[in-house]
Amino acid sequence: MIEVENLRKVFGELVAVDGVSFTARPGEIFGLLGPNGAGKTTTLSCISGLLTPASGRVRVAGRDVVREGAQARRALGVVPQEIALYEDLTARENLEYWGGAQGLRGAPLKPRMEEVLELTGLADRAREPVKRFSGGMKRRLNFACGVLHHPKVLLLDEPTVGVDPQSRVRLLELVRAQAQAGTCVLYTTHYMEEAGTLCDRLAIIDRGRLIAQGTLAELRSMLGERDLLRLTGAFRPESVRAALERLGGVELLLVDQAQVTLAMPEASRRLPEIFAALAGAGAEVRGTTLSQPSLESLFIKLTGKELRE
Amino acid sequence: MRFLLTAARKDLLRLARDPMSLLVWMGIPVFTGLLLLVVFGGRPATPHGLLLVADEDGTLISGVVSTAFAQGELGKMFLVEKVEQAAGRRRMARGEASALLVVPKGFSEAVLRNQRCQLKVVTNPSQRILPRIVEEVASVLADSAFYVNAIAGDQLRVFAVPPPGGVWTYPDATIAGVSTAFNRLAESLRKYINPPVIKLETGVRKDATPEGPDIPKLFFPSMLSMTVLFFAQGLSGDIWKERNHHTLRRIASTAAPLWQFLAGKLIALASALALAGAAGLACARWLLGLPVPNPVLAALWVVASGAALYLFLTLLQMLAASERAANLLVNFCFFPLAMLGGIFFPFEMMPAGMAALARRLPMAWALMELRSLLADPAQPAHAAFAFAVLGAVCTLLFLLALARLKRGFAE
Repeated sequence: MIEVENLRKVFGELVAVDGVSFTARPGEIFGLLGPNGAGKTTTLSCISGLLTPASGRVRVAGRDVVREGAQARRALGVVPQEIALYEDLTARENLEYWGGAQGLRGAPLKPRMEEVLELTGLADRAREPVKRFSGGMKRRLNFACGVLHHPKVLLLDEPTVGVDPQSRVRLLELVRAQAQAGTCVLYTTHYMEEAGTLCDRLAIIDRGRLIAQGTLAELRSMLGERDLLRLTGAFRPESVRAALERLGGVELLLVDQAQVTLAMPEASRRLPEIFAALAGAGAEVRGTTLSQPSLESLFIKLTGKELRE
Repeated sequence: MRFLLTAARKDLLRLARDPMSLLVWMGIPVFTGLLLLVVFGGRPATPHGLLLVADEDGTLISGVVSTAFAQGELGKMFLVEKVEQAAGRRRMARGEASALLVVPKGFSEAVLRNQRCQLKVVTNPSQRILPRIVEEVASVLADSAFYVNAIAGDQLRVFAVPPPGGVWTYPDATIAGVSTAFNRLAESLRKYINPPVIKLETGVRKDATPEGPDIPKLFFPSMLSMTVLFFAQGLSGDIWKERNHHTLRRIASTAAPLWQFLAGKLIALASALALAGAAGLACARWLLGLPVPNPVLAALWVVASGAALYLFLTLLQMLAASERAANLLVNFCFFPLAMLGGIFFPFEMMPAGMAALARRLPMAWALMELRSLLADPAQPAHAAFAFAVLGAVCTLLFLLALARLKRGFAE
């Protein structure tokens, strides 16, 4: 279990994490969703004990990470965003080392190593130096090193960045298997789709603040049963804002000189009306995208910007 | 504690997978040592030369002249070869020998009859020392002949005439007569030959300016220290590799104590240095023929001084803001340590002022202690003090490095 209460971390003048609170339960995949620089990795670093919080409290498996750091870290498995492996060692040697770092050695280590090598599909390459592995294989070994010791809490920091689709599917399956085995998984990502399909509960973080959290259904309901309409072309923001305000039931989420994003129920039926209003505002529409309510639309609604920015 | 061994094993494995670095760290000192041996010519040399002797007299006394050069200290300097005069002169013309000594026919008779005779010495102008030695020795022989003649000329002149009847040996009566005459001569000279007993105590005072440095003995400790320096410098950079490959951050988020992580690196370095040191000492003993009176203590000193240097350089690496800055900072220390610490240039070859300054550097202290362990029988009190100082330095540096690792660098 992870309990984060009013976590705050400051680097000089920059407030990287500001009053973040959430709880992730055993057997649950808890997603931390946000753009790059939102504070996800800093939050994870505070949970893993790498950074000391300025204020607030973090407990891992019932242990305070500041006061009982060593005990807390014993329950923790971390899969960092970067590939943190020794490339000149073999997969097996890496596993021995990282297992040893988590107190796993002797008789229990060997069978567990074989098990994770099988799970990650690396058993036949176990004696090769890691430098000969593909990016996907390294990612899987990176994951294996984090789960070798059966952690109660698993922190995954964007583990699928730069991974080929096949390895990504495999990695996500491995994460689900961990949760099914009772591990509490904290998963950070900036991939909406991945977060939507994988996580049981989600928290959206932006500029160090948690702006929403709940299940996917709960988050969607915050947006309502509304479609998201994105228009691209040439726009005059002030004129567009004025023209759309006159239309009832249309929420303007985002507008600039190149695009307009709107949320409304049954957007497809209202397209003629919207085009007419935009034409009246001197806009030139060149492209239209209509989508169902999603995490992305929620993120845009909550932050006024797209997740990939 | 068991993670300590796991960490050390990991670093040793990584070191073993990088043989090129090991080769460079050990190869440069060996190469430098060989270069210096070639330049300075190894041990303080005894000149070796070829002396050609054309003995045209062929008698017992003329033989004494050539054997004088083949015995004692002269025998270590010269290889004496008997030649015909013409052949000897041809070889001298080709510069093949240091000198040609011509003992003319009638030399013995002239010596015994106290007549004028001439030893001829032809010298090689391209050599300076050895021909001069031949000239001096020939001159001393001539002087000796004069004095022998003055003292025992009458007795010896018997032998100026060949034995009667064309035989090789003289009659017993002649030999007995000469012996009796020598006995009487000895009796008359007894007061000079056997003077009152004077007890003479002799002592050897070492020359203030010895003949020249023993190059292998002088450079071997420097070569070992150079190896230590390269190992420490090379392995200290590994902390940035750990950071850049994110393994440092990862280990900091595990239950493993960071002190064991750092101590593991130290053990790996110590093991590698112990092997390199043992190999170096074995080479010194068996290949260079150097005396190694305290091999175990010397190897331990190599390891301990390497550990201190490694911790110091690792601390510097971690104090820098970037890897590039760390390299600059470490090199900023590395070169003065190597150049002034007596490693590349022994103190004996430095100008006096610089040598005095260099001897105050910590690297120089470590080198001088190593030299003393390699040169003299163990002095337990002194060795214990030196090891205690080094142990204290290592402990302090370890704590400082660990503090830096925990507070900032691993984050």
